[in-house]
Amino acid sequence: MKYTIISDKIGTVGAEFVPGAGTNIEALLAHGFIKSDEKPSDSPAPKSAKTKAHTKKD
Amino acid sequence: MATSTYLSNPGVMVNSVSLTDQCTAATVTNMAEALESTAFGSTSRVFVAGLYNQEITLDLYMSYAATETYATLAALVGTTTTVKVSNTVAGLTTPSATEPCFTLTGAYLEALPVINATMGELSTISITFKGGVLTTAVS
Repeated sequence: MKYTIISDKIGTVGAEFVPGAGTNIEALLAHGFIKSDEKPSDSPAPKSAKTKAHTKKD
Repeated sequence: MATSTYLSNPGVMVNSVSLTDQCTAATVTNMAEALESTAFGSTSRVFVAGLYNQEITLDLYMSYAATETYATLAALVGTTTTVKVSNTVAGLTTPSATEPCFTLTGAYLEALPVINATMGELSTISITFKGGVLTTAVS
């Protein structure tokens, strides 16, 4: 996955961000330092698995 | 006589974000825990090295502006990250023997003061990153 810098606090805006060892990517994404170049999928979300109701047998 | 006077040069980077313009003090401590090995026959206490226990303490101005202090640190509480400190800003990216870069990888941020407000004063916070592996780059 590629990331692009959108804050000059971590580098040149528009340049690719290559995370170093131990970098907390989620924190950078959450607070607007970088953005992910991954496009959201158009396919629908997978359905949840059906589960059978437990019935108590006598 | 050797002295180091810091005026505006040191560089600080937390989780790849430069906080140099918010930082007023930085302390990097390389510590090996002392395990006492004094035994009968000893006349003085003797210690051997135990686990390394590194710490980086930073004093920062608190800013809630976008991509500043709070935005950088808020999501790091309870997690580990990488912290870099050098005696010059250039040393963060191009370290040398006279501009060593100290990197603490896997540094744990236990606590973040989210408000430290006093009338008529700039808000400041002090945070400590604990643990991790400290490396020193000189080239």
